[in-house]
Amino acid sequence: MKWTMQDIDTYLQAKEYVDTAVIPLIPIDLKEDVKQKVSMGTFISTMADAIERQFKGRVLLFPAFTYIKNQPLEKRKSELIDWDRHVYEQGFKHVVYLTADGDWKQVEDELPDMLVWLPALPFENMEDRYLKQMIDQQMKQIIPLLTNKWQSEPKQRP
Amino acid sequence: MSSEKEHRVSRRQFLTYTLTGVGGFMAAGIALPLTRFALDPALEGGDEQEMVAVASVDELTEEPQRFDYSFEQEDAWHTSEVTQTAWLYLDGDEVVALSPVCTHLGCTVDWDSNEDFPNQFFCPCHGGRFEKDGVNVAGTPPTRPLDVYEMEVRDGTVYLGRPISRD
Ligand code: FES
Repeated sequence: MKWTMQDIDTYLQAKEYVDTAVIPLIPIDLKEDVKQKVSMGTFISTMADAIERQFKGRVLLFPAFTYIKNQPLEKRKSELIDWDRHVYEQGFKHVVYLTADGDWKQVEDELPDMLVWLPALPFENMEDRYLKQMIDQQMKQIIPLLTNKWQSEPKQRP
Repeated sequence: MSSEKEHRVSRRQFLTYTLTGVGGFMAAGIALPLTRFALDPALEGGDEQEMVAVASVDELTEEPQRFDYSFEQEDAWHTSEVTQTAWLYLDGDEVVALSPVCTHLGCTVDWDSNEDFPNQFFCPCHGGRFEKDGVNVAGTPPTRPLDVYEMEVRDGTVYLGRPISRD
């Protein structure tokens, strides 16, 4: 489900079935490597949409957690932990942070739940058919991450 | 009947009118898509979703196979490329085309993907299951069968239209 009026109605009626939050983590930066940041953002949004399509009935895809790239990592980490706590307390027992920004890997162990880091693939000029293939390939890796996560106990928050 | 008095608009009334005006405008915005929706069946006759060539009959077997296809969809604002998936198989000579969208809450089902439930469609979200013909397995969350696509076979090619729900 998406963060839209239509989907949120479904969510409100079927809350007990929707236990997984997907939060894309997307950096903003107009100073350095602007295009690379835009590309990263597009890539993550595309993958987030694909995940949502696959797992529509159990996942709520949130609007991206967006931050200034040169903001200290500690600061955004603690903001993300706040998001996590909010959604966790509202019944999302599983939270997935989806990003292409390598910074997050440095603090992966300090995050309350699962970081899915994907190396950003540049697909600006890719033909649709290759784009589709590429998304499918990525999804092959991502699908088991989620289904396995669902088999295991939700991570406890401190 | 109507007197001067009734026509005089006090400031408060004016405000109320204005607000209603804005509200009315917003309501119109909301009503518009609903009207479109309501009119849709009437328009359908002349404006069917085009049938898209998805597979050749030669490729099909008794075993459901997954086919992805895309087509352009136009709405009021823009044309977009939509990708859809269908599970196709042969039942004798008949082609069967099922939608992969779980009728519980919309996850994507997969054929024969769970060891414990061979030869069924399985939904990874809440364990929904469907028989090969798309009929939901009792005791799992979905309450109706998988949708079937509107379908046509011409010159050995399978064409699909919109998914149709069955009860
Ligand atoms: S969405 Fe398929 S079982 Fe719930």
